[in-house]
Amino acid sequence: MKRIFIDEKYCIGCRLCEIYCQVKHSKSKKILKAFREGQPDILSRVLVEEIGHDSFAIQCRHCDDAPCVSACISGAMTKNEKTGVVVCDQEKCVGCWSCIMVCPYGVIKRDISSGKAASKCDLCVDEEVPVCVKNCPNEALKIVQFPDEEK
Amino acid sequence: MNTEIKNIKKDYLIIGNSAAGISAAESIRKNDKKASIAILTMEKYPNYSKPLITYYLAGKLDLDRINFKDRDFYKKNNIELCLEKKAVMLNPQERFVLTGDGSKYFYKKLLIACGAKPAIPPIKVRDENESVSSLDREIGKIRGAFTLTTLEDAVEIKKYINDYSIKSASILGGGLIGLKAAEAFLELGININVIELSEMLLSASFDKTASGIIEDRIKQAGSNIITGQTIEEIIINNGAVLGLKLTNGNKIKCSLLIVAAGVLPDDAIFKDTAIKTDKGIIVNEKMQTSIPDIYAAGDAVKSYDILSGQPKNLAIWPAAVRQGSVAGMNMSGRPAIYKGGFLMNSVEILGVPVISLGLSNAEINASPAEIKVYIVHDALKKIYRKILVRNDRIIGVILLGAIERAGIYYGLIYNSIDISELKDKVAREDFGIIQLPADYRKHLVVGEGIEV
Repeated sequence: MKRIFIDEKYCIGCRLCEIYCQVKHSKSKKILKAFREGQPDILSRVLVEEIGHDSFAIQCRHCDDAPCVSACISGAMTKNEKTGVVVCDQEKCVGCWSCIMVCPYGVIKRDISSGKAASKCDLCVDEEVPVCVKNCPNEALKIVQFPDEEK
Repeated sequence: MNTEIKNIKKDYLIIGNSAAGISAAESIRKNDKKASIAILTMEKYPNYSKPLITYYLAGKLDLDRINFKDRDFYKKNNIELCLEKKAVMLNPQERFVLTGDGSKYFYKKLLIACGAKPAIPPIKVRDENESVSSLDREIGKIRGAFTLTTLEDAVEIKKYINDYSIKSASILGGGLIGLKAAEAFLELGININVIELSEMLLSASFDKTASGIIEDRIKQAGSNIITGQTIEEIIINNGAVLGLKLTNGNKIKCSLLIVAAGVLPDDAIFKDTAIKTDKGIIVNEKMQTSIPDIYAAGDAVKSYDILSGQPKNLAIWPAAVRQGSVAGMNMSGRPAIYKGGFLMNSVEILGVPVISLGLSNAEINASPAEIKVYIVHDALKKIYRKILVRNDRIIGVILLGAIERAGIYYGLIYNSIDISELKDKVAREDFGIIQLPADYRKHLVVGEGIEV
């Protein structure tokens, strides 16, 4: 499967990844419109952490043995066996936040606008390269193809 | 009724069709494509999520949407689901389980994942026309009195509410089930009394402050909360609930009573066997019981509690799924280990998200030298975050109002990470991975086996 690799030493904390993620997951997919239509705020599914000169961007790691999937009481959070992508079915999610409770990366958010439904990275499955990776100016995010563990 | 005694042979037999049982069946099927797998359940509904039954009660989810596995899960995985087959007796010598209809299910490997049953405190019942009360009446047989642990319970309660146009209800128990039921009733416009024996709500995992915030929220939504009291007597008329008398002598009128006073491992199937138990089935790290080829997982077992180092009944969904999966792997010949867990819960009650992890109120009975407490409390924003630290390790967390990134604490507890450098930051809302010790952070950010 594909995974996003984080290279902390190249991250300059510009937060372009967050902006492109927000646009990608907006209705219009257009940067100016997205931020104007964003009522309430569109959530970025990638998160930049920063203290002083240290920064990095982090998003769902799409764990093999994902804690969020086993904690999910509604069956909304599943790992696609073919693509390896962990996705949250917004229709099934009831907003109990068990996934938030167990994600050691802290990369699942409450989508307040829908009143429920955990919001997380979907690895931009319809794009060749996830938008956060594509738009990182310093190659602090890379996409890497990993061999399938078992088949 | 069909009384014919049937002998049925299965490679893998699973008692229980909830989180642990289904997760085990799934991992068995992954390793063993051909073997026969059967799941016995006393219930009449196929897979559904027990934590969601109050969502059904509130009308937020209908019966078609309460399943946590796809409807074709059993068919797709070639698992035989035996509904309304109550396991009544286990014979480990001859390796069979007897069901209520007299069938014998023989197994090569057995998983006991029968879960928990409601704990019902002894309560006297009195007919309003009589002066003597009795302790012998089964609460469940009184019209209008219910426990709430299965979908069938929820369906019956809903029917009762509709049939009798119920406008007032009482809930015994201010724990998670009780409060989620309270939320459901409030949303249905039913007046409620929550009766809690201890001095505060959610006393198992909360402290006074957190409990107070939730109590205020529930009261604000229109509920009456009575703490430090329990039911002395249920008053009935024509076999139906009419009201309650509390231990302080006060009387409450209500036509619906929910007894949500906790759960206990359902021991019906194993209590008369040689399986080693101690208020729950004792299992090893492979989820094996003391009898070969019999495994157990979920709310009926006592498994390893990381925080106390002792066996503990970890009756929570994520533990049941993990344990079931580990049991299933070992049953089908693929070694796996359950490293243990700890208690935790996440719920949203009337719009207030709440997460508790580990020994989240352990400071109440400990010396300040032993447990250090770090708190961020914003009364105006209704945010409360408390981190408990023992020997430089986080052992407990309460997050209320601001729960984002709670799982970072889960990881720190699970991996017993030294946080001595971060104490002033640890409860803050902006606490993140970037503050964590460099090697743990590297392990998280770069990840195992990921190199460029």
